[in-house]
Amino acid sequence: MAIRTPFADKRVLILDDQPDMRSTLRSQVGSLGCENIAVSATVKDSLEQLKTNTFDVILCDFYLAGGTDGQQFLEYLRNRRIIGRDVVFVMITAEKSYESVVTAAECLPDDYLLKPFTADTLKSRLQRLLEKKIRLAKVDQMQNKGNWPEVIAACDEILAAKDRYYVDVLRIKGNALILSGQAAAAIEFYQQALAMRPLPWAKLGLAKAFQQIGDPARSKQTLEQLISEAPKLMVAYDMLGHLHQAAGDNQAALAVLDNACLISPNSLARHRAIATVAEGQGDYSRVEQALGLVIKKTRNSPLRETHDFARLGNALTEMGEPDKAVALLEEARTTFKNDANDPLLASVEAIAQQRAGHPEKANEALQRAMQNDPSKLPEQSVMAIAKACLTIGQQDAAQELLKNLVQSNPDSTELHGRVSTILRDNGAPELAEQLVSESIREIIELNNEAVKRAKAGDLAAAAEMLTDAANRLPGNLQIVANAALALFFDIHANGLDPAKLQAAQAFQQAVLNKAPSYPKLTEMAELTKRIRGKYAPGSRQ
Amino acid sequence: MNFVDLAAVTIHDVKNRLAVLANRAEDQGDSATMRGVLEAAATLSRLLALYKADSGGLLSDIEARTPADLLAELAAEFGKQSALHFAVELSAAPNLWFYDENLVKMVLQDALYNALRHARREIRLSAVADGEWLEFSVHDDGPGYPPNMLDQALAIQPISREGTGLGLHLAGRVAALHRNGGREGYVRLSNANGARFSLLLPK
Repeated sequence: MAIRTPFADKRVLILDDQPDMRSTLRSQVGSLGCENIAVSATVKDSLEQLKTNTFDVILCDFYLAGGTDGQQFLEYLRNRRIIGRDVVFVMITAEKSYESVVTAAECLPDDYLLKPFTADTLKSRLQRLLEKKIRLAKVDQMQNKGNWPEVIAACDEILAAKDRYYVDVLRIKGNALILSGQAAAAIEFYQQALAMRPLPWAKLGLAKAFQQIGDPARSKQTLEQLISEAPKLMVAYDMLGHLHQAAGDNQAALAVLDNACLISPNSLARHRAIATVAEGQGDYSRVEQALGLVIKKTRNSPLRETHDFARLGNALTEMGEPDKAVALLEEARTTFKNDANDPLLASVEAIAQQRAGHPEKANEALQRAMQNDPSKLPEQSVMAIAKACLTIGQQDAAQELLKNLVQSNPDSTELHGRVSTILRDNGAPELAEQLVSESIREIIELNNEAVKRAKAGDLAAAAEMLTDAANRLPGNLQIVANAALALFFDIHANGLDPAKLQAAQAFQQAVLNKAPSYPKLTEMAELTKRIRGKYAPGSRQ
Repeated sequence: MNFVDLAAVTIHDVKNRLAVLANRAEDQGDSATMRGVLEAAATLSRLLALYKADSGGLLSDIEARTPADLLAELAAEFGKQSALHFAVELSAAPNLWFYDENLVKMVLQDALYNALRHARREIRLSAVADGEWLEFSVHDDGPGYPPNMLDQALAIQPISREGTGLGLHLAGRVAALHRNGGREGYVRLSNANGARFSLLLPK
């Protein structure tokens, strides 16, 4: 009878570009009793494996052929949610260089293994890591779902035990406090953690919390202190750059990021951040320089990003080189077949084609961009499509898109400013001021009208109006919350309609996800209770 | 490419080959070869760390770690490389302590290779916390340190021309990277029925 080890049912993926190391790792993993081992030599091959199989453990060498490394691979997997937090990712390296370590917490490997190591060491490490995953199963599961209040609750349970996972869980809890919008609680939490030990991640969290609570000065101060204590903590530079940029000081932002590039020249994230600041500044030659470098490093790697090509294409067009832009964008469209309809790529191409004197191709590109549902797109993409519409002369479509954007964010004067600028710079100056104020007026009127109807007793009509508006403007929290409330009132008064209940609960959840402490949530919970009381079996009138 | 980058790439390459050799020796139960190969790899790591320490580039990544895990791992690794008995004493070990696990492991490995050369039957590993300090120690049952070694201040020891004291020099540098609340880690050598190497890290 074969002996079944605790590893027998674990599925392991090995990625190493060295044939010797691959077979060594394979035999070491095999000696643990694993029966399900996949081995790959390239990132491309690993991505294929991950498409068709799920793994419990990934062992990845830091140095990989083809211009990428294990850290970039891990960031790609985590950022695209190709692997969940329940997967153990172990980085194998000859030297643990500090630089590779200091990255965003969510992109840290679960462990580093330094070569050479024995099969015994591999076994004890994996055992420990798998035990940890079991202990943190609930926390990971809730993190994968983005359910931050539940993450916090699960963390508190483990923290109470004061076991060996205490500090790991502190780190997760702090992050969850920030992501659930509890900035004041996060500040207190991180200050307590820092009193225990001046940990860089806690200081970084504190800076984030200050930023969230609207205190950029203290956030900046915390980051500057952190950078002087831990000069290789690259995320601190990124955040400080963002703060300067948000304050309108693009020069200072670029200075911080340039400094970071000197320390860590290989980080793609930093060059992308520089491009973002330069875009805000209208310095397109700087954008071209930064993204040109990123594309050069990733062109032949599966880790390349479509949006790097789109943004570089935009920069070239803005610099008056639409032909060069067209060549680049056509290359991107034909190489990344899955992303041909990517809204950013397609709208940038539409503008480049128009400027290069190919109106028909411009129209085709715009059609591709318009195939997406704009209410589900990020703001950057909607802006890009609107700009393409204006360039090609489709003003009505542009207005519709921008109106929805303003109505989704009725309080963001910063966004309103950018909407006006786009209109002014792209042939519609007469609309620049008017569109923003008109759009806001329209949404206020709609809301008032719905309230009036509800007060007059026509709850169904009010609910219908607000439901339509909420579906069109999923980013407008006030409208979404009012839609949920109106539906709940309608159900309570007029009978339990399952479709309405489902819609109401979806809106309620959407508000909860975006702003867990939104005041109207209490009223929704209260109404839900009353509805349950009224329609529950046994309480029939 | 400058010399440091070149050295790092070369060390990576050599370590890959050593990893393959170590695995082969482990498969064949050849503990003597395994010890030679792993010690050679440890020497390479130490070389790079020393270079970084002297050029100001040795940085620490201090995190909450579990001392019991580290000592169990070391005992298992060294148990395979030698016929000596390894005892791990953890009764006063804390659940968590803050240190750079890689650097501390490198220092303890070095102390262990040294102990392997002098121990008669047994090497004892321990982690003891008294609230303010954690003491990692490697204690052999050999003849003990010569008296002149015990007299020296070890926080930062100069490297002698003969190349001796390299490991201790690095241990002192690593210890000093562990600072908190105005206190700094240090190394202590003592004799107690054998040589006892201690690395003390502040809370």
